[in-house]
Amino acid sequence: MNSARQQFGDLERVIDEVHALFDHWENSGVFSPAFDADKVQLMKLAVHEWLANLVQHAHFGDRTPEIHMDVTPNGKRVRCVIVDNSDGFDLGTYLNERRGALPVLPERGMGLLMLDAATEYMNYHRDDDGCHRLEFSVSADEDPWLNIPF
Amino acid sequence: MNFTVESWNQQTVVVHVGKALDFRNASDFKAACQEQVRAGVRNFVLDFSETGILDSTGLGSIFSLYRQVSPLDGQVVFAAVSRPVQVVVQLTRTYKVFRQFPSLDAAREAVK
Repeated sequence: MNSARQQFGDLERVIDEVHALFDHWENSGVFSPAFDADKVQLMKLAVHEWLANLVQHAHFGDRTPEIHMDVTPNGKRVRCVIVDNSDGFDLGTYLNERRGALPVLPERGMGLLMLDAATEYMNYHRDDDGCHRLEFSVSADEDPWLNIPF
Repeated sequence: MNFTVESWNQQTVVVHVGKALDFRNASDFKAACQEQVRAGVRNFVLDFSETGILDSTGLGSIFSLYRQVSPLDGQVVFAAVSRPVQVVVQLTRTYKVFRQFPSLDAAREAVK
């Protein structure tokens, strides 16, 4: 698989659809052997957390939600781009505030920190057409972890 | 909600988590566990053998359960942890908090 593009519009179904897609890709052997099953799960978790955030918190105004996902395996690294037509938010500020504010054994607020921890590279910005674009990669060479207060 | 609760004894239950514990059913999980705690249950064995999704909200609901039972000398342990769950456990290093057992039988032996 060079690159796969998927479009989602139903926020009620997007989570199950994405998981089914990753399971299909994994079972079809589209990821490099160097990108092992644990890393596929990590990639899927990162995508899940971003989509969960969109489903729960994003504002789409009067627009019909549109989410596009591109996944590109490249040996030990898999790149993912998720574009949506929500209003977006300041991810950098959010992450900085959350990092210093996690309570002991937190019940909420870990999702985007888990996404950030799982990824080797992450960038989020507004495109010229007004859509918001999250780009990130997960590397087989990384052993990421999130520092949660216990 | 796709989980079921099985009583092992007056103080211990196993929660068969099923396919997913995430933002869509975490509040149901939390409510079901709180009901068990109110009934006197102190030990929770979480069976993850069928679980394909555990996300941050699902993990948060487990943290909430742990905070509830640990002051009561209760415990929360993981059994038959699937690969997707293990990836979350490794990423968050929650193996430092929750003991893991390879099977329900092993958990039953340890949590009496």
